[in-house]
Amino acid sequence: MAYLLNWILWMPVLGILGLFVIPGQSKGAIRYWSLLNTAITFVLTIILYMNFNTEVAGMQSQFDIRIPWISQFNIYYALSVDGISLPMIILSGLLFFLCILSSWTIEKAVKSYFILFLLLEASVMGVFMAMDFFLFYLFWEIMLIPMFFLIGIWGGENREYAAIKFFLYTFFGSIIMLIGIVALYNLSGKGIDSFNIVALAGGHFRDLTLNIFGYDLPFNKFFFVAMFIGFAIKVPIFPFHTWLPHAHVQAPTAVSVILAGVLLKMGTYGFLRIAYPIFPSASVYFGEAIAWLGLINVIYGAMCAMAQDDMKKLIAYSSVSHMGFVMLGLAAMTVQGMNGAVLQMFNHGTSTAMMFLLVGILYERSHHRWIVKPDGSRGFGGLYTQLPRYSIVFIIAMFASMGLPGLSGFISEALIFLGIYEKFTTITVMALFGLLIGAAYLLWMFKRMFFGEVNEAVTGYSDMNWRELSYMIPLCVAVVVFGIYPAPVLDVMRASVGKLVVMLSLY
Amino acid sequence: MNIVMITNLSYYLPELALIAAMVLGLFAIAFSGSRDQSDKIVFGLTMLLLMVSYILLNNMMFAVPRTIFSSALVIDRFGTLFKIIMVIGTIAAIYLGRFSQDILPEIKSEFSIIVIGVLVGGMLLASANNLLIVYLGVETLSILSYALASFNRKNNKSSEAGLKYALYGGISAGLMLFGMGHIYGVLGTIQFEGIADVLSGLTLSDISILLPSFLLFFAGLGYKIATVPFHMWAPDVYEGSPLPVTTFFAVVPKMAGMAVIMRITMVFFSAEGVLQIGWIGLLSVIAALTMTVGNVAAIGQRSVKRMLAYSSISHAGVMLTGVITLNHLGTTAILFYGVAYLFMTLTAFYVTTFVADGCENDHFERFTGLVSRHPLMAILMSIAMLSLAGIPPFSGFVAKFNILAALIEKRYFVMAVILGLNSVVSLYYYMKIVRLMVLKSPESSAPVGGFGLLNQAVIVAFTIPTLVLGLFWQEMMSVASSASLLVK
Repeated sequence: MAYLLNWILWMPVLGILGLFVIPGQSKGAIRYWSLLNTAITFVLTIILYMNFNTEVAGMQSQFDIRIPWISQFNIYYALSVDGISLPMIILSGLLFFLCILSSWTIEKAVKSYFILFLLLEASVMGVFMAMDFFLFYLFWEIMLIPMFFLIGIWGGENREYAAIKFFLYTFFGSIIMLIGIVALYNLSGKGIDSFNIVALAGGHFRDLTLNIFGYDLPFNKFFFVAMFIGFAIKVPIFPFHTWLPHAHVQAPTAVSVILAGVLLKMGTYGFLRIAYPIFPSASVYFGEAIAWLGLINVIYGAMCAMAQDDMKKLIAYSSVSHMGFVMLGLAAMTVQGMNGAVLQMFNHGTSTAMMFLLVGILYERSHHRWIVKPDGSRGFGGLYTQLPRYSIVFIIAMFASMGLPGLSGFISEALIFLGIYEKFTTITVMALFGLLIGAAYLLWMFKRMFFGEVNEAVTGYSDMNWRELSYMIPLCVAVVVFGIYPAPVLDVMRASVGKLVVMLSLY
Repeated sequence: MNIVMITNLSYYLPELALIAAMVLGLFAIAFSGSRDQSDKIVFGLTMLLLMVSYILLNNMMFAVPRTIFSSALVIDRFGTLFKIIMVIGTIAAIYLGRFSQDILPEIKSEFSIIVIGVLVGGMLLASANNLLIVYLGVETLSILSYALASFNRKNNKSSEAGLKYALYGGISAGLMLFGMGHIYGVLGTIQFEGIADVLSGLTLSDISILLPSFLLFFAGLGYKIATVPFHMWAPDVYEGSPLPVTTFFAVVPKMAGMAVIMRITMVFFSAEGVLQIGWIGLLSVIAALTMTVGNVAAIGQRSVKRMLAYSSISHAGVMLTGVITLNHLGTTAILFYGVAYLFMTLTAFYVTTFVADGCENDHFERFTGLVSRHPLMAILMSIAMLSLAGIPPFSGFVAKFNILAALIEKRYFVMAVILGLNSVVSLYYYMKIVRLMVLKSPESSAPVGGFGLLNQAVIVAFTIPTLVLGLFWQEMMSVASSASLLVK
């Protein structure tokens, strides 16, 4: 059990090694092997959940692995898990498993696709488990390589532009973060814990100053901003969001799911794990600014979504809007707000994954994603009568995404608003309009696609098959169950989030 | 006296082995029957003696640092490690020269011999301990390089490259000599250790003469490693020269110049004062400019060779930023960078050479769809590109990380940010090749001739260090960290 995290991290790598042996022609074997591999990883994350002690707060307290790696810099191969990362690990395990099922229809260079996909899984798991700052950065960056190729090779028409934009943008953010990491290492005395995320936490850098061109700048604010940019690009927070619509629209379905479902969460996870604990006073200082940026995300993302004719782009912008809610919860720095934010990270992961998967399923039949085609005619119409199963799943996904009571989105958004109301009342009231616009664009899209006259092109579409149902149903169940009974997720995170809130309240 | 000389010679064995290779090679050409036969003999001979030299250098890593030949040369781990890098670079260049069509068949043996001559000059620079040796090293290095640049005599561009190189080289050598003359005039010594002693107690008027003379001195060295604004020759020379020669230029003269700049900085300017501020200021500005200009210019290139030339300029800039830190970590970082840079550059140049040989020229378009023709080669080239851009888990990232760590240790945050932003810019043009190789469909499906099994194995061998040093770099760090300078 002590090496459980190692197993979860290296299981996809074992899968990759296996894929190297399987010849490229036997596509079936490659798919089943990858499916088996991700299934094992998912089961391991569930075992992790079963054995997780929810009473213990913070990293470095359970399932610890700490092996010296580079002695000159005191870099460790250090893994751990806490209540904030565990929901993300389970979410990743689940989504990667389901995405293999949805990638069944990939026919181009199957072997390379699954190798890159498993590499992506390993690096994502690594980010959520790393306790050493250097290791964290390593996984954070390695992730870019499979993403670049997955978007660039298997993407849509404009895939190259999207891939390179994504790569450059994220690399820019992370290199600034790297400078921050090295600065932290130096200022914390280059000791045994200087790359240790847990040991760095707690506001040790509050009174340090930084001399640049003769000006004394407060160190913690300066590097909070450096980290902020790195994470904000990932979230993405306005105005760093411009890579997202391109990447999402061009990426193949499964990669969009991972991008929206898991990778965006890495940004907010970075705030929870790194920016907040290490620079608590700066976080409190910039709290209101973060709230305003979150608000812009909510409103602006929703407005952009409203204007889209492309279904996938609409969902992509809705992600921007929903991640804005997460940022609002983070900006609140209250118990409800933070719990809501982490829960929203989890819930958005499931609901947006459903939406992207549904877009992908429809795309495989129609080969276009236009709600309204560029020439003004309707892309779809009357889907409801033609594809009943599809429509029901779509309704569940849409309402979950909208935040209807009884489905998962509602609880996390409610918690976020509860948390932020006492701190930033104006922002809360304005953000509520974001919910309204959210309902509007989703329902409008639904109306245009599913109701009305039956479009001739639509009549030939087949309804969802068993394979497609097999990966949609678990998500439907998750959305409904966590909408009624979110306690399993909330229990896991409570202690860790509470610890963070207490620390922030000291500043 | 004689006995001292002979014991001294034993520390000079690696260079002597190379000189023997040159002489024996010339004899072999003169006395062997056919061209083909002499090519084989010279190739075998040079490879063998380079290996011998490599092994000797490896053993010398454990020797006690000392000066030899009346303190003209210094043998320390720092210099030896640089020499090892240069020897590996030369072995790679000669091997490549044997297979590349860029080197005309009738002068393949001469190529090996001249390349070794340049290497000897480079090794002289790496262990120079007085100004005269620096000049001697630079000239040995340069004069033979001019010949190398114009080696493809049937190609106008190659002749142009040689002439340009010679003109620039002549002027900068003159400037350097002029600077050295002033330094000697003011300080009365050419020994490094003597200069270091005198520098600490100078009057302001002396310093006012010395500052410009050091600037002139730097002009000569900066030209060798192609720093901005002395870089103008580099792209043309790199593009015009045959590819094995470019490979060689990207490694050996660069490393030699870097070694001597490093040594001078550490020996002369480790004491605080006006001179240190001036020299470090000069190097900082030049390093920042070199990185930026190299990277920005690389973006627009059509020829991969030219792009790699600009990228090597920017890498020289990155290494220079390690020099300005003047601390132990900086020295370590540069040595590590040298090793990492050697292997990623070799992979990049090898693949480029074989693609260019197979497809007539080395334009970016020739790399289109390489992944479907030679998947392994495309992957290795991608690894080299990602590594050069500084993406983990490859050695290029670790190398940049070390330099960043050294910079931030000295609180040079602005420099660190410039370095970081340059990495982002460089990623764009490195990814251009990866994009063409992997994301586009090929222009033809014919296999590239040069990628035989043996050559592929060699390229794999060059890529392994890039992978290993990216994840398990502790050993290399301790080697680099122990390779300290001897100031004597």
